[in-house]
Amino acid sequence: MTEYAVVAEGLVKKFGSVTAVAGVSFKVRYGEIFGFLGPNGAGKTTTIHMLATLLKPTAGDAWVAGHHIVKESDAVRRSIGVVFQDPSLDSELTAYENMYIHGKIYGMGGEELRYRIEEMLRFVELYEHRNRLVKYFSGGMRRRLEIARALLHKPKVLFLDEPTLGLDPQTRAHIWEYIKRLRDEGGVTIFLTTHYMDEAEELCDRLAIIDHGKIIAEDTPNQLKRLVGSDIIYLKVRAVNGAPNSCDALSAPPVMECKPLREGMVALKVSDATQAIPVILERAASMGLRVAEVSYRKPTLNDVFLYLTGREIREEEGSEADFLKHVIRMRRFRRR
Amino acid sequence: MSRTLDPFVIMAYRQFRRFLRTKARVVTSILNPIIWIAFFGLGWANAFNFPMAKAIFGGVDYLTFLTPGVTAMAVFTASFIGGVTVIWDKQFGFLKEVLVAPASRTGIILGRIFGDAVIAVLQGLAIMALSFAIAHNLNPYGILPALAYAFILALGFTSAGVALALKMTSMEGFQMVISLLMMPLIFLSGAFYPIKFMPGWMKWVAYINPLTYAVDGMRHYLSGVSTFNPLTDLAVLCIITAAFMALASRLFKKATID
Repeated sequence: MTEYAVVAEGLVKKFGSVTAVAGVSFKVRYGEIFGFLGPNGAGKTTTIHMLATLLKPTAGDAWVAGHHIVKESDAVRRSIGVVFQDPSLDSELTAYENMYIHGKIYGMGGEELRYRIEEMLRFVELYEHRNRLVKYFSGGMRRRLEIARALLHKPKVLFLDEPTLGLDPQTRAHIWEYIKRLRDEGGVTIFLTTHYMDEAEELCDRLAIIDHGKIIAEDTPNQLKRLVGSDIIYLKVRAVNGAPNSCDALSAPPVMECKPLREGMVALKVSDATQAIPVILERAASMGLRVAEVSYRKPTLNDVFLYLTGREIREEEGSEADFLKHVIRMRRFRRR
Repeated sequence: MSRTLDPFVIMAYRQFRRFLRTKARVVTSILNPIIWIAFFGLGWANAFNFPMAKAIFGGVDYLTFLTPGVTAMAVFTASFIGGVTVIWDKQFGFLKEVLVAPASRTGIILGRIFGDAVIAVLQGLAIMALSFAIAHNLNPYGILPALAYAFILALGFTSAGVALALKMTSMEGFQMVISLLMMPLIFLSGAFYPIKFMPGWMKWVAYINPLTYAVDGMRHYLSGVSTFNPLTDLAVLCIITAAFMALASRLFKKATID
C-alpha cells in the first residue's frame, strides 16, 4: 500500500435506494495528479467525501496515505487537505483569520503557523488582501484562499472537488497554474474531480472516467484518446430505402471501428482522416447511403467519453444531477 | 498544544470574532429585553405602585422583582438563538471544514458553546447594568453570583440550541421551533409574575422549566426574594446544563455531511 497515496477497492455508497457510487477501484501514485472526469451526478463528489472520511462507504475499502478511511479516520484527516465543491470559508472573518483558525484546529501554532500562513497567502497571491473580510472576495479569490488553507498544514494528499467550477476562463487558467506548480514543486499528491474536459486534459497525469458511479476507463489522457484512434471522423448519414445499417456498410479498412451515435451520426476511428474521408465517401455512395455532414478532428477527451458512453458529458449537465439531488432531498424529508 | 484544548480555545475565539462583526445580532438581542424593561416593566411598576403591592412580589417593588427575570430572559434568548450559527455553518459550508479536521470534536463543539455562552452572558450584563439604573433596590453584591447562574444557564441553552441546529437543515425550521418554545418557556419561568399565583397546571410546567431555576436563583441574589433554595436552583441548572452539553457533544461527534 505504501507506494500509493490513495487506494480504493470496490467503494460503494448508497443513499437509500439511490446508488451514488457503484463500486470503484483505483490507485493514485504519490506525486501525481489523478483526476475523476465525469458528468454531474456521476459519483465524483461522493467518492471524495468518502476518501476524506466525511461519509462512511456502504461497502468496500480505501486507504489514503496508507491509512484506512474508516478504521484510521483521524490519521487520514491529518494527512489530507480538502477543497470542497461548495464554499467552506467563514465569510465573516478575514482571509488571515480563516487561515489562522484552520492552523490552530490542525494543531499548529506560534511562529511556524504565522510563517506558513504568509507563505501560503503569497503562493495564491492573496497576501495583500489578508485583512479583508472574505465576504468581499470574488469567487476566484475565495477558491484561491481555500486552496491555500487546504495546503496550510502540509497535507500529503490534496483533494480538489471541481476546483474551477463556475469561474471565468482567466481565473481558471490562474488556478491551473497553482495546481501545476504544486505538482512540479513536489511533495503533494493531488486528487481532483472535474466535468471539464479541458481541465482534465490540462492537469491530470492520469485520470479515470466515471459515469453512473462506475469507472469506465482509466489511463493517461493520451492513452485514453488513443482509444478512439488517432483521428476521428463524424458522419451524418441519411439512409436511403433498402440501404444497409450505416456501420455495417462502412466497417472496412481504413475504418478501424465504427460506432453509431444519435440521430444518424456515426463516429469512425481511423489513423489518417485526410486520406480516409474520400474512400469512405465513395463507399457510402456505392452502398446507397447519403452523407449529409462530415467532419473530423483529433480526438479530445470529449470524444473518448462519447465513444465510451454514446453521450456527451455536457448533455448530462443539470438534468441527471438535479434529479439525483432531488431524490436524495426527498429521502431526507422522509427520514425526518 | 493539546488536541482538545487548542480547538476549544480557537472555536471560542472564532465565535467571539464573528459576534463582534455581526452588529445586527448584538443590537437585536439587547434591544428586546430593553423593550420589556422599559415598556412592560415601567408600565406595570406604576400600576403596582400601591402599599399592598409589594406583598405580591415577596416584599419588593415590581421593578426589583422583574429586572433579574428579564436579565435571565436576555441570556436565555441569546444563548438559545445562538444555535443558529450552526445552521449558518451548515449552509455556508464552514461545518465541513471543521468536520474534516483531525481535531477532537468534543473540543470543537464545547469551545463553540463556551464562546457563545460568554457572549450571551455579556448581553445579560448589559441588561443588568440597565436594571441597576432603573430599579433602585437591587443588591450590587448579588451581581457576581447572578452572573454565575446566568453562565450555567447560557451553557445549557447554547448546547440545546446547538443540538437542535445539528438536527435541522433549514434556517426557517430552526427559527420556527425556537420561537415556538421560547415564549412559553419565558412566560412560565416566573420572570414576569410570581409562580405562586399561577394556576395549578401552570405551576407544574414552571417547575419542569429549566429557566425557572435561573430566574429564581438570580432573583435571590439580586432582589433578595426567591421561591426555592438557591442551592436547589444551582443543582437543577447544573444537571440540565450537563445533560444538554452531553447531548450536543454526542450529536456533533456523530455528525456527517448528508
